Amino acid sequence: MNGNGKANPRETAWRVFANELNTSTLEIKATEEKMPSYVVSPLGAKINRVLVAGTLTEKANSGTPEEPLWRGRIQDVNGQFFLNVGRYQPDAMAAMADLEPPCFVAAVGRVRTYTTDDGRTFVSVRPERIIRIDESTLNEWLLDTAQSAWARLKWMKQVVSLPDAKVPDLIKMGMSPVQAEGMLYALDNYGEMPDSSVYLKTIQNALRRLLPEKDVDFGFPEGMQDMPDEIDIDGDESGGAVNHGQMEDIVLSLLEELDTDGKGAPRDELERRAEAEGISAIELEEISNILMDKGLVYEPNLRYLKLI
Amino acid sequence: MERIELTPHMEEIKRVLGDRIDDETLEAELNKYLNEYHVDIVSAKRGIIRKYGADTAGTATAANATKKIADLNGTEQNVDVLAKIVYVETKNITVKGLSKVIVSGILGDDSGTASFTVWEPGSVQLDKGSVYNFRNCYCKLWNERVQINIGNRGRIEAAPGVEIDVPNSTASLSSTEVKIGDIREGMGNVTVTGKILSVEARRINSRGEEKIVYSGIIADETGKIQYSAWHDFDLREGLTVCAKNCYIRSWKGIPQLNIGDRADVERVNQTIEVEAADSQKTIAEINRIGGGLDITVEGVVVDMKNGSGLIKRCPQCNRSLMAGGVCTVHGEVEGISDLRMKLVVDDGTGAIGAIVNRTDTEKLTGVSMNAAMGLASARGEGVVARELMGRILLHKVRITGNVMSDDFGPSMIVRSAEPVEVDVQAEAEKLLAEVEAAI
Repeated sequence: MNGNGKANPRETAWRVFANELNTSTLEIKATEEKMPSYVVSPLGAKINRVLVAGTLTEKANSGTPEEPLWRGRIQDVNGQFFLNVGRYQPDAMAAMADLEPPCFVAAVGRVRTYTTDDGRTFVSVRPERIIRIDESTLNEWLLDTAQSAWARLKWMKQVVSLPDAKVPDLIKMGMSPVQAEGMLYALDNYGEMPDSSVYLKTIQNALRRLLPEKDVDFGFPEGMQDMPDEIDIDGDESGGAVNHGQMEDIVLSLLEELDTDGKGAPRDELERRAEAEGISAIELEEISNILMDKGLVYEPNLRYLKLI
Repeated sequence: MERIELTPHMEEIKRVLGDRIDDETLEAELNKYLNEYHVDIVSAKRGIIRKYGADTAGTATAANATKKIADLNGTEQNVDVLAKIVYVETKNITVKGLSKVIVSGILGDDSGTASFTVWEPGSVQLDKGSVYNFRNCYCKLWNERVQINIGNRGRIEAAPGVEIDVPNSTASLSSTEVKIGDIREGMGNVTVTGKILSVEARRINSRGEEKIVYSGIIADETGKIQYSAWHDFDLREGLTVCAKNCYIRSWKGIPQLNIGDRADVERVNQTIEVEAADSQKTIAEINRIGGGLDITVEGVVVDMKNGSGLIKRCPQCNRSLMAGGVCTVHGEVEGISDLRMKLVVDDGTGAIGAIVNRTDTEKLTGVSMNAAMGLASARGEGVVARELMGRILLHKVRITGNVMSDDFGPSMIVRSAEPVEVDVQAEAEKLLAEVEAAI
């Protein structure tokens, strides 16, 4: 409770969608021993621990059979959580060995960041617990997380209109100290308001899954070239699949063009070029994942994508 | 680097250096390190912190602001305080299993008082009534009160010859009327109106003198609280009373209402709907108030701790036995089997530890005591905990019980528990309507 020398109370497990977590680039690093580090999301979630859920789409042991180091991905509504499970998470490690993708899972764990030389930040999750869940539990998570993301969007909208507000002012408005600190840190340091449409779209997609018979539409364009958002979820591929295929072709040709030294195509360059072709960063991420699933490309490391 | 990219680094440096550097200088320094000398950001930060930091304190540039206690707002990262020791004690605390000595107490100056803690006391000797200069302190807010911390960058210097008058009592003398649900640790003089739910007279020995204390539970429509009355105010079950000039003491984070010598108690003709008391709280609210009686929390089970599953209890004192069937008080005993879970429940606003007894463990997991014992004899004791975990982890539960707090946060002794059925469809429709109305 007092930081510095005293034990810290357990950190809250934030309910966040993958795209909010993965677009987080700010960190509050521990400056003293025993002080936790945080990742601050664009919507002001001050995150040390998360509770995430979705479909475990892949797992791979990048360690040895004796000392496994599991990597895995969990897909939520329109993004992926990147998991790393090593020997410091013995319970999660044992659980990973038994999980067979694809399956619905939920995981609780701390977040880690990795920043490349060119300043790009990758966020991953180190699960302390990971467990198979049924679809109704997944739906509860989707609901909780949509509500929580919506609450942050609403707070942010309010706080943005109060340029001089300090932490105590926000607490008076009803925020907890952690919420207030995260919100102000995000607003002061991201430099600009986040593009709320990105996060609203995720909420929209979550609600579409929870209310399949309703026509949930917040009026956002359905991505470039009318691509459906639920690539992996929606069985109906009529129309969308063609455009999807076109995007895959564009990305494949870009990969060929940008691989000048045999190391693969640098991510940042690929992103710029794809953007110019009308493929957003999120779409590029999706396409890359699909191409990896198809076995057409791989990641020699986090910063490169290469044709096989 | 562009300005935008520098901002987080500047914030980081400012957190360490506080007001020892202004933004303009900091930006100029960073620019120099990074762009003129092409130093990497880590080395640049180190360099700047060294240059302006505590290691060079004492030079003219490192002069700090001295503040009055009443002017502290709890966010100061680096501040000097000149104050008198009103109260001081040495404490042994345990940090991650290691024992550690700290010094804490109350500091005062002519503007007010605040609690303080010296985290690395070393050989520092603080005397009650003496005045010291506390340098390079940092402040935190706890329950809306400022705490002054002297960490490993802090220094304490005696200030002989300095006289400070600390006002006798900074707590306001007038009593504030509060709802029971709003009562929290550290509140001063309060007035409470509520219904007496129970009274019990106990004989106690106070400083060699035998005394009768009346204690029980008082409630209003916002919550319940334990009270102790140090006089016979003729409190009876079912009466509604207004108790003025009471004070709040906390035991393990649970606030208790003390109806002391200065208190006035009057009967009131007022019906209070205690049954309607909604004691459901978020964990963030619990963190704010510290603890309380009969609190209900709803959240997801995010972890199950060691000590869950089948355990043995001492037949004499009911404590759970250590490995090898030994009671910490009664030695080697024939233990009685029991089933329990030590859970962590998280509602997205915070986390709380929850100890769940046998009945509720059976109810939540569907694993009966008998089944657990069968499982243990067939496949080993460890299997029981794993079985329970598989059935409870990531499930939503509603738990009710008394909540207390310590260094590790709040924890609840669960009196009743039930699984939560979420009407996902209805809740999703509600959210949809709200979002559609707002955008």
